[in-house]
Amino acid sequence: MTVVIGFEGSANKIGIGIIRDGEVLSNPRRTYITPPGQGFLPSDTARHHRAVILTVLKEALEQAGLKPADIDCVAYTKGPGMGAPLVTVALVARTVSQLWGKPLLGVNHCIGHIEMGRLITKANNPTVLYVSGGNTQVIAYSERRYRIFGETIDIAVGNCLDRFARVIKISNDPSPGYNIEQMAKKGSQYVELPYTVKGMDVSFSGILSYIEDAAHKMLSSGQCTSEDLCFSLQETLFSMLVEITERAMAHCGSQEVLIVGGVGCNKYAEAFKFCIDNGAMIAQAGWEMFRSGQVTELEDSWITQRYRTDEVEVTWRD
Amino acid sequence: GTPRGQGRATQLSSPFPVCSLDVPFPSSREATIALRSLSPDKEPRKGGISKLITVSGSTLSVRWSADEARILRVSVNSFLDHLSLVMETMEMFGPPVAV
Repeated sequence: MTVVIGFEGSANKIGIGIIRDGEVLSNPRRTYITPPGQGFLPSDTARHHRAVILTVLKEALEQAGLKPADIDCVAYTKGPGMGAPLVTVALVARTVSQLWGKPLLGVNHCIGHIEMGRLITKANNPTVLYVSGGNTQVIAYSERRYRIFGETIDIAVGNCLDRFARVIKISNDPSPGYNIEQMAKKGSQYVELPYTVKGMDVSFSGILSYIEDAAHKMLSSGQCTSEDLCFSLQETLFSMLVEITERAMAHCGSQEVLIVGGVGCNKYAEAFKFCIDNGAMIAQAGWEMFRSGQVTELEDSWITQRYRTDEVEVTWRD
Repeated sequence: GTPRGQGRATQLSSPFPVCSLDVPFPSSREATIALRSLSPDKEPRKGGISKLITVSGSTLSVRWSADEARILRVSVNSFLDHLSLVMETMEMFGPPVAV
C-alpha cells in the first residue's frame, strides 16, 4: 500500500490531494479569482496561495482521515508554471517532507494531468490533448517518454480564451473559460476568424489580436454580439485542436484521445474536478514515480518555470 | 518557542548594499530543515544579487550583497516571506520526527 500526498499551485489554483493506490482520499482546492477584466499576476497569486496553503494541507489530512505517519511520499509540482506560486508551494512540501521524514518527489505538472487522466479513464495508450491556460500540447507515449507531437508555437488555447474574456469583461468566477462557454451557447452568428494550424502545431496569438480588434469594432457597431464572438472563437479554436489531434492519432495509429487540462472541462463535465489543476493529480504522478524508484533530493528540488513534458524519463511504463 | 530574527541592512561606504540576518531556531535540526527548504530555488533575478544561507549551531544565517539597495530590498523581502511560511509550517506540523 502506497500513500502519496501531492501539492499543486503552479497557476491560480492551490490544491493538495492524497492518493492511496489509485484511490483519491482527499483533494481540497482553492482558486484565486480576479475581478472581470483582470488576469492573475505571479506575486498576487503567490500571496493568495501562501495565505491558504497550510489550511488546505490540514483539510487534506483531515478529509483523508490520515496522520503524517501514514504518508509514504511527498510530491509537489516542480514546474512548469509561474515562479512565485511554485516556490510558495515547494517550500511547504520541502518542509513537511523533512518534518515527517518522508521522501520528496518533484513532479512535472503536465505529467500530473496525464497520469490522473490515465487513472480515471483507464485508457490503454491514448493520444493526449493537454489544453489549459498555460499549456497546449498533443502528446503520445513512446519508449519511456511522453513525446510532444504538436503544440502551440505561441500562447496556450486557455490563455487565448482568458484574455478574450478580459476584453469583453466577463466574470472570472468560476473561470473565464466556463463563462465563455455559457455565452457561446447563446451565440447565433458565426464570425469568421483566422484559422492557424501549422503542420503539427497551432498558433493562437494571431486569432487573439484579431478577435480583440473585432470585438471593439463589431460590438460597437452592433454587427454581432459578445455571444456570437464567444461561439465563433470556441468553434475556431476547437476545430484547430481537433485537426492537430487527429494528425497525431494518424501518426500513432491510436484510437483514443485523452483530454486533460482545465480547457478540457469545456463540454466534458464528467471529469470536471480532475481536469482543473488539483493536488491529487500530482500525488498520482508522484505515486507512479515513487513506486518506480524515483526520488528528488532536496538540493535538486528547485522549481522551474519551464519544464517540457518530454524531459521526464517515464520509468513507470514500458 | 517562536524563533525571532535580528537583521540589519547597512549602506557601507562602498557602493554595494549588504544585509545580514540571523534567525535562532529551537534546535540545530530545525535550523537545518529551514536551510534545506529555503536554499534550493535560484534568485529570480539573474544578476546584481548574491545571497548565502548557512547554519551554525541552531542559528540560520543569511548574508546578502547587491548592486543596488532596491535589488537588495526585493530579495530580502521575498526571503522574509518565505522564511515566515517555513516557520509557520514547522510550527503547525512539527516537531520533526525522531530520526
